[in-house]
Formats: sequence, structure tokens, C-alpha cells
Amino acid sequence: MESILLGVGVTALAGALATVAGAAEDTESNIGSQGDPNSQVQLAPQMGYIHRIYNKAVSGEPPAYGLWVTIGAGVAWAFMVTGMNPVLAIVIASALAIFVQGAYATTAYLGRTASLNKFEQPVYIDLLKSVTTVTMAHAFVAVFTTVSMCYLLNAALGHPFPLALLGIVWGIALGAAGSATGNPFYGKERQYQSQKFGAGVPISASGNIVRYAEAGQRSSLDNGWFTGKLGGPASGVCFGLIVFLELWRTVLFEEIAGGWGAIIAGVLIILVFMIIDRYVEVWARKNYGPYVKAEEATA
Amino acid sequence: MSVQITASEGGIPHDTLMAVGLIGSIVCLYLTYLNGATGTDVFSFFGGLAAVFALIWGTDTIKHLCSYGIGTGVPSAGMIAFGTGVIAMLLATQFDGMYLAPIMAVVIGAIVGFVAGFLANNVMNMNIPVMIRSLTEMAIIGAIVIMGLTAVMAGGFGFDALSVTMVQILGPLEATSYASSLLGGCLIAVAFMLGGIALQHPFNACLGPGEQQDRTLMLAAECGFLSMIVVAAISFAFVSMFAAVISLIVAIAGWYYTYAKYIELSRRDAYAWLNAKPILEPKGEA
Repeated sequence: MESILLGVGVTALAGALATVAGAAEDTESNIGSQGDPNSQVQLAPQMGYIHRIYNKAVSGEPPAYGLWVTIGAGVAWAFMVTGMNPVLAIVIASALAIFVQGAYATTAYLGRTASLNKFEQPVYIDLLKSVTTVTMAHAFVAVFTTVSMCYLLNAALGHPFPLALLGIVWGIALGAAGSATGNPFYGKERQYQSQKFGAGVPISASGNIVRYAEAGQRSSLDNGWFTGKLGGPASGVCFGLIVFLELWRTVLFEEIAGGWGAIIAGVLIILVFMIIDRYVEVWARKNYGPYVKAEEATA
Repeated sequence: MSVQITASEGGIPHDTLMAVGLIGSIVCLYLTYLNGATGTDVFSFFGGLAAVFALIWGTDTIKHLCSYGIGTGVPSAGMIAFGTGVIAMLLATQFDGMYLAPIMAVVIGAIVGFVAGFLANNVMNMNIPVMIRSLTEMAIIGAIVIMGLTAVMAGGFGFDALSVTMVQILGPLEATSYASSLLGGCLIAVAFMLGGIALQHPFNACLGPGEQQDRTLMLAAECGFLSMIVVAAISFAFVSMFAAVISLIVAIAGWYYTYAKYIELSRRDAYAWLNAKPILEPKGEA
């Protein structure tokens, strides 16, 4: 009973860490214009829209976060083998991972922007300094919390995978949660569409990204403010739920039916979510439906 | 990320880069055998240099492959290189006793890569002319890079070096431990991700109509040294303090030099280099 209580407590803590990680991850990638807004940012100068938006394309978010978290987990593991205190090891390892992230971010911005010289897109050095440090700070929060979560799984719940392997699995999951859940909340309207809300993305407007903010010229830092409201928390809830439900079903039901209990609980959770998804989809279609012809258009 | 891929023409021919990368990396991998010959592990850093040579070659391979317009394929190319390469690397470690591991990594990598390329072109009907050759090259590159980074971490790439570590218990007593070895800690995952991203990043970051070969290759070297910094930090757990510090110094020095050079080359190629200036609207008709 005590082990189950401890397990549930660790599960809650890991879920909380994951929630913070998801929120920080999405904010980081949106400030850096990684993920799907990136192609429009890259395209904009070719269409004649010179901008002051960061263009950080290390790769898709899942592999990139796979790398940062794996570095954090692997280096932390190696430091712990040498006898270092786990908390200190995780902090130093995450800092090293973020050093790598920052180096990748700056080389991505410089490389892509320099390759656009034909379209008269300059390199803005103040952007490089201000935005990179902000993305590094957010990435540190995301990597530190994820590595801490992996360490909890290993040390407190006795997960059989070594830390680096947990790091690669959960790092990719974190990047995928931020990319799939967080980006739709922000990019389409806020960053790369200087169009009215709900206008869709007409081909002729490709590359017409939002370059001017309410007061003056827009840089990617404004994306942090916008993402902090919706995209970040949504990614956080998504990743937190993934971690929490995954651990919760294992902790509570592993003893039942020789391990099959946890598997049955997992299948049940998937079924419940499929029913909820279907209900939400039908509800949204009924309420927002396909576009109908405007009545004045026929007149 | 679906952006238009534009590759520059000219520069050093691909075959020359391949020859330099292949020979350079194999020579460096063999130099790590000096560890066994001298009974130390201070020569581990040659593994990192082997990875740098291979990554420079691999960046040019990716450029060739991706000039066929595989939109989102640049990051995936790095992943498949290491997915195929890790198989070749692990099999090749079996030949370490005969000093054949680097050669066998190339041979097995070529076989695995050829099969992957054949399947992609002929079974999945991708029909890209350079696909088979590129995937063959990339599997070899993946195997060499993982082997090189492993050598930095563990001081060698024999199966024993990877799977067993000596742990001190009660002072002078020593016991073998599998769980705290390089394979037991699954640090191959770190080498895998470090290499996979380092291989695809240079071309992915520099693509565009103004892509220049020297700048892209400088970035490849930078990514290689950056990966080496991480594995050098991990190596503190496996090799002697002195050897780990040497690897770290070589990695940091190499990284700093290539990073500074890369910024210089970016400055050369950029349209303008501005600090806190407003948006410059283009002078053309747009």
C-alpha cells in the first residue's frame, strides 16, 4: 500500500514537471519560429516581405527536443556515475544541453538568413542576441523538468530503462506534444498570416507574415506573450496528461493479472479518449460547420 | 518544414570530399588504437576528429541527395543515416580484436546502406538517381560518427570497452559492472542523436539561393566539435581525468575556432549585418 501511495505521489509530481516542460517547450519553439511557422518565415523575404522575425530551423521539434533532452539525461547519468549529487548533475547537464541548443539556434538563424541575401534580407544582430537568450531560458526549463521527470521514473518508480533512453523517448514525446498541440493555437493567425481572422491561408498571401506589431516592429519575442496565453498551457496540459496517465495506469494496475492490468487500463484510456475526440469533432462540425455561401453574394 | 531546397553549384567536388572524409576518419579511428598500444586513454580525442571528418563528408552527401527536392527530407536524412549506421557500428565492434573495427564499420555500413537505398528506390519507387549511393555513404558515415563519438566516451570501441566498466567497491576492491557501462547506460542514444542532428543541420540551416559550400562545410565542422564537447563531458565517467580533459580542450578549441569562422563567413555572405535597425524594405518593385 505504501509503495502505491509513493507511486501515486511520484506520478503526480512527474505529471506536474511534464506540464511545466510542455508549456516552456512550446513557448521556446514559437519564439524561435521552429516547427511549422518556419517555412512561411523562410519564404517571406522571397515574396518581398523583409522581416525581423527569428528563423530557427534546427529540425522538426521532436528530433530537436530528442537531442536536447537526451544530452541532458546522458550527461546527468554520467555525472551521477562519478558520484555527483543527482540534482546538481541534472542542473549542470541541462545547462550543457542548452549551450548546445543555443549554438544550434544561432547557426540556424545566421545560415538561413545569409542564404537569403539575394532577397535583401539583412541579418539583425540585436535579434540574435535578444531572442536566442530567451529561447535558451525557456529550453532550459523544458529540458531540466523533463530530465528530472525521467530521473524520477528511474529512481523512484524503478523504470528499467536507463536515463539516456528515457531521455530520447520523452524528449521526442515532448517535442511532438508541443508541435502538435501548441502550434495550432498561435502560428496561423498570429505569426504568418497578415489576414483577417478566419480568412484561411490563400496561396497569394504566402509569406505575408505579420511584421508589424501594435506598437512598432515585431520581433519573435512577441510570440512568447501570445503563446503564453494559449499554446503553451495547452501543450503543457497535453504533455502532462500523457505522462500522468501513462504512469498512473502502470502504478495502480501493474499488480493486477500479472501485468495485464496496466495494459487493459491503457487500452481503456485510449478508448475513452477516442470517444471524447469523436464527440468534440462532431460538436465542432455541427456548430462551426463547413463555410456556407454568403447570402449577399447571390444578389 | 517544407521549404524549397536550393543547392549551390561548384566548390570542391563531392568525390574529393568523400575521399578526404573517408580516409581522414578511418585514419583518426585507427589513431585511437594508440590507447591500447601505449596503455593509456589520452588518444581518445581522435575519435571526435574522425566524427568531424565524416560529418563534413556527410553534409555534402545530404546536399546532393536533397537537391532532388525531398522537401521535408533533410532532418529525416540524418535519422536514416544513423539508424542504418548504428547497426553497422555495433556489428563492427565484434572485429575489434583483429584491429578491423573501423574497416568493418565501412564494409557493413555499405551493405546496410545499399539495402536501404535499394528498398527506397526499387520497392518504395522513390526513383531518385543518387538515392542508393547517398544512403550507402550515409550509413557508412553514421557508423563512423557513432564509433568515433563512442571512442571519445569510452576510450575505445571494442565490445568489452562498451559493455563492462570497473566499479570500485570498498576502496581497493573492484567489481565489473554492466549497468554502469556505456551500453548499459544507453549512451549510444546520446551519440545517435548528437550525430543525427549534426549531420542534417549544416545543410538544413544554410539552404537557400545564397548557400555557399565553404560556409556549409564550416558549419558541419562546428556541429562535429559541438557534439564532441558533449561526449567529452560524458567521458569523465569512463576514461581517466587527464584523457577526458584533453578531449574536452580539443573539442572546445575546435568548436570555438569553427564557430568564429562560421560567423565570419555568414557576415561575408549576408546582405547586410545590422544592429537594432528597422525593417529595410527591398529596393525592387515589391
